[in-house]
Amino acid sequence: MKVTDEEFNERARANFDASVDELDAATLSRLNRARHAALAELRQPTRQWSRWVPAAGVAAVALVAVVITQNPVGTYEPPPATVADMEILLGEDSIEMFEELEFYSWLDVAELQDDVS
Amino acid sequence: MAVGSAVFAVSCTGTATTGTKELQKEQQLNRFLAEVERRALRIAEIGVRDREEALDLVQDAMIKLARNYSARSQEEWTPLFYRILQNGVRDWHRKQVVRNRVMTFFGRKAHEDNDYDAVAAAPDPGGRAPDEELQNDEAMQGLETAVHNLPARQREAFMLRTFEGLDVAATAMAMGCSQGSVKTHYSRAVHSLRATLEEHRPDDMFVAEVNR
Repeated sequence: MKVTDEEFNERARANFDASVDELDAATLSRLNRARHAALAELRQPTRQWSRWVPAAGVAAVALVAVVITQNPVGTYEPPPATVADMEILLGEDSIEMFEELEFYSWLDVAELQDDVS
Repeated sequence: MAVGSAVFAVSCTGTATTGTKELQKEQQLNRFLAEVERRALRIAEIGVRDREEALDLVQDAMIKLARNYSARSQEEWTPLFYRILQNGVRDWHRKQVVRNRVMTFFGRKAHEDNDYDAVAAAPDPGGRAPDEELQNDEAMQGLETAVHNLPARQREAFMLRTFEGLDVAATAMAMGCSQGSVKTHYSRAVHSLRATLEEHRPDDMFVAEVNR
């Protein structure tokens, strides 16, 4: 005798239901414990700070990137030369003056003493 | 003084309302899980052919539902729960494939699916006569074996539609596919199962594959 799809499904469902109804006590106890473990999740306090961890990480990476971009390591450049420096470098007399600083100091002192006397 | 008391009263009322809602949500979820847990276990067990593994999968699904989807409406819980469970079953099978490859590589015998003892895993007798018990157990074993041997998507569609009684829309949500795909998988599953099992008399239609 052929059965229809509906009858087939009803029998399958009935067999399945019977197997569900006859689960042993140990298994039901395990399921009960599993359910209470799941419900305990609802009582866990929400960790507000954990929401900001990804954003803080991204911000830290961005900050490091900006610092590295603005201040590249190993490319030290001396400060630009001023106009006075250029005069010293280009003036021939100036160079000689720096070579004989002690003489010019003595000359200044001697001139002052002459003026006083 | 009066204003302060009023503010305190409002504050206490708000806290009590929030606590009541949380308690209601917990009670609703408890009822839902208690309602589906045994069926979910058997569905997972048919999928993985191992009760201990099935218990772990059901517990994981319960925890994930409570942790991530408890705020959703109750109507969504059933398909969401079964979607999590089916994903767990699929992951379990993927891990088994990898495990078996590794075991084969090292020259060990891979775990064979046929090691599952459906009789040992069968439920306790519920006060029925021995011959009736044997007939029902054999019928369920035959059905279980045949369902397990279906392609994964057909198995999921059949179990969710026939065993859990989900409609097409909820099954589609649980399986993460279109309603048309559910209908196709389900139709093929029913025809395949019937072809496997209907050689026998209607009374023990599901016994066909027991001693294969």
